[in-house]
Amino acid sequence: MPEQWTLTLRLYRQKANEAPRYDTFTLQVNPDEYVLDAVERVWAFHDRSLCFRHACHHSTCGACGMRVNGVEKLTCITPLRAVTQNGAVLTIEPLRNFPIVSDLVVDMGDLYRKMERVNARAVLPVTEAEIEHPASTWNPEDAQYLRLSDCLECGLCISACPVAATTAAYLGPAPLAAIQDQGMRRHPELLPLADSEDGVWRCHSAFECTAVCPSFVDPARRIMDLRRQVVGAKLRQVFGK
Amino acid sequence: MSKPHVIIIGAGFTGVATAHDLALRGCQVTVVERGDICNGTSGRTHGLLHSGGRYAVKDKESAIECIEENQILRRIVPQVIEPNGGLFIALDDSDLSYAEQFIAGCEECGIPLEELTPQQALTLEPNLNPRLLAAFLIPDATFDPLRLALAFAATARHNGAQFRTYAEVETLLMDGQGNVTGVRILDRAANRHEDLHADMVVNATGAWAGQITAMAGLDAPVHPTPGIMVAYDQRLVQRAVNRLNEPGDGDIVLPQRRMVVVGTTSFTAENVDYIPVTEDQVQLMLERGSELIPAIRNARPRGIYMATRPLVGSGSGRSMARTFKCFDHKETHNIEGLVTITGGKATTMRAMAEKTADVVCAKLGIQTPCTTRETPLLSYRQYYTLSNQEKHYA
Amino acid sequence: MNNQPSSRKLLTWFNPLGRNPGAWAFILNRLTGLGLTFYLFLHLIVLGRLAQGPQAYEEFLELTKSPLVKLGELLVIGAVIYHALNGLRVVLTSFGLGIRQQTQMFYLSVLLALVGTLVFAIRMFAG
Repeated sequence: MPEQWTLTLRLYRQKANEAPRYDTFTLQVNPDEYVLDAVERVWAFHDRSLCFRHACHHSTCGACGMRVNGVEKLTCITPLRAVTQNGAVLTIEPLRNFPIVSDLVVDMGDLYRKMERVNARAVLPVTEAEIEHPASTWNPEDAQYLRLSDCLECGLCISACPVAATTAAYLGPAPLAAIQDQGMRRHPELLPLADSEDGVWRCHSAFECTAVCPSFVDPARRIMDLRRQVVGAKLRQVFGK
Repeated sequence: MSKPHVIIIGAGFTGVATAHDLALRGCQVTVVERGDICNGTSGRTHGLLHSGGRYAVKDKESAIECIEENQILRRIVPQVIEPNGGLFIALDDSDLSYAEQFIAGCEECGIPLEELTPQQALTLEPNLNPRLLAAFLIPDATFDPLRLALAFAATARHNGAQFRTYAEVETLLMDGQGNVTGVRILDRAANRHEDLHADMVVNATGAWAGQITAMAGLDAPVHPTPGIMVAYDQRLVQRAVNRLNEPGDGDIVLPQRRMVVVGTTSFTAENVDYIPVTEDQVQLMLERGSELIPAIRNARPRGIYMATRPLVGSGSGRSMARTFKCFDHKETHNIEGLVTITGGKATTMRAMAEKTADVVCAKLGIQTPCTTRETPLLSYRQYYTLSNQEKHYA
Repeated sequence: MNNQPSSRKLLTWFNPLGRNPGAWAFILNRLTGLGLTFYLFLHLIVLGRLAQGPQAYEEFLELTKSPLVKLGELLVIGAVIYHALNGLRVVLTSFGLGIRQQTQMFYLSVLLALVGTLVFAIRMFAG
C-alpha cells in the first residue's frame, strides 16, 4: 500500500467578471504523485468547474505552469513530497504577469508573440544543445540529428521576473535567452531588439528566471552572455569590422 | 450563400486536424473543448511518430497508414519533430525469430528498413544493451504532442476556425425527430450556458466518444485502453528504440528534449477522466526499459503518467487494430447531423481528419478536395498570437 | 504596448516570499538605493544649515550625538557598503563573470556590510 497523505489544496478561483476567491479541497494523496495529479483529481472528483491547463504530463509541453505556495513550478514534474507535507495546506495560484483567463489558466499570447518576434528556435541540432555530454563525445555525424529545444515556453520565468512584473514591454527572460541561443554574429538582425530599452539592459539581475526554469535553459546566464555579445556587436559596428 | 457551419467536439489531435481540413475546404468551423488543447489522451501520448514498423506484422492497414502519414507530417510540420529515426533491436532468440516476419512485413508495407550489425548499432547508440543480437533502422521520429496539435489549430484559426476552449458540451441539440442540430455548452471560463447551432456536429472526443453519442441515445464501439508512460531525466538515445517482437509492455524507449520516455502498458478502464498511476506498472517500465537501455537504471523518473487510447472495434487490448473508424450516424442509426471519428493514433491524425472531412463534405455537398497533405502548417505559437480572447489583468 | 511601469505592480518588487537569494539581493539593492536617496536629501538639508551661519550648524550638530541618530548613521553605512558591493556583483555578472557564484557573492556582500557596520559601531560608541 503506498504512503497516504491528507492534503488541503487551496486553489485560486476566478471566473470572468467575478471577484477572485480561494476554494479549499481536502484530498487523500500519495506523496509521490505530482502537484498536477492532485489538481486534476480535484477537477475529476470534486469540482468540474475548475479550469487548469495541462497536456503532456512529463515536462515537454510547458502547459501546466502554476505557482505552488508562491513559487513557479511546472506542476507535472513537481512531486507533492517536494513542496509540502502530510496534513499541510498547499496553495496553488495562476502564473503572475499574464492576464487570467479563468482560475489557474493564464493567457500567454504575449510571450508567444515575443518568441515569434525573436524567431526562437523550436528544433536544433543535438550537438548545439548544451547537454550533459561534453561536446567532445559527440560523433561528427551527430550534427545531423535534431532535437526539440530546451525552452518549453512555459512562462515560469516571466512570472518570476520582478522586471516583467512592472512592464509588459520588457522582452523577458525566455525571449532574450532565445536571442542568445541564436547568437549576435549569426543573427545580427536581432541586435536592435536585444539592444533596445525593452531588451537585454532592462534585466536587473535578480536571477529568478534561472531559479524557476524547469528545463535547464538558465535564462539569467544567457542574458548576461547576451550583454557581452551585444557589447561585442556594437564595438564591431564602431570599429567597422 | 453562407458557409456551412460544422461544430467539432474535442480539441485533441483528431479535432484540431479535422478543423484544419474543414477550414481549408471552406467550412465555418467551431471547435468546442471542455479543457484546453490536448488535455486528454493526445497531450499524454508517448510522442512516437510511428514508421509503422511496430504494426508491420499483425496490423498492416495501420502500418501503411503510419508510414504514409509519418512522411507527410515530417514535411508539413517539421517544427515539432525530432526526425532522428528509430531502431528495432533483438535481445533474445524469441526476438530473433520475429525478425523474418518483421522484414517481410516492412517490405510489404513500404517501410524503408536497414539492417545493422550489433556493432554498428552500438556505434550509433552507445547506450543500447550491449547484448543485442540484431538491429534494424527504420524512419521513426519523436514529436512534441502539444505543439503538434497547436500547429494544426494555429493554421485552422488562421483560416477562420473558432476555438472555444473550456467549453463543455452539456447536451446535443435535437430537432424533435432525433436529428442533431447543435450543442449546448457550458463556457467554464465565463460560467455561462450557450446554444451553438450547426449543419453538422463532429464527435472527435476519442476515448470519451461514447459519452457524446449517449447524449443522442447511441452507443459507440470505443474501448478506452490506458497505458503508462515514464519519462526519465537523461537523454540516453537519439532515436526511438523498439523491442523487435510483437507489441508488448514497455517495449519502446524514445528520446525527447533531455529525457527518454518508456512506454507502455495496456489495460481497460471504466472512469477515463482520471486514471491513477500504479507502482507495479512503474516498476515494469523500469525493468522492460532497462532491458533495451541498461543506463535507464541510473536515471531518475521525471514524469509518470497514464494516457487512454481510444480503440475501436472488437477484440481487446494489444490484439485490437490501431486503425480508426468514422461513423456517419445517419447510416448507423438513421440520425442526421452527427459524425463520430475515433480510434487511430497520433501519427495518423491527418489521415483521420481527411477521412472525416470527406464524410462531412459529402453530406454537406462540398466538392473541394482535401489539401492538407501539401499544406505546410503555421508556427504552433500562432495559435496563441491569433487569439482574441477577452483579457483582464489580475 | 503600454511601456509605463504600473505603480501597483511596483510593490511586487519588494515581496520576498518564495523568492531566491538572487531576488533578495535585488530587493535589498532597491531598498538600500531608496534609503540612500532619501539620506542624500537629508544630507543636503543639513548642509543647507551652513548657509544660516556657523551657530545654527553647530546647534544642529548637537542633535547628531543622540543614539537614535547614530543608529541611523549606522544604517546608512551598512546600506552604502551593501549597495556598493552588490553593484560590483551586478557589474561582474553583467560581464559574464561569476554567474555561477552570484549567490555566494550576495552572501559575501551582506556579510561584509554587516562586518563594516559593526566596525563603525564599535568606533562610534566606544569613541
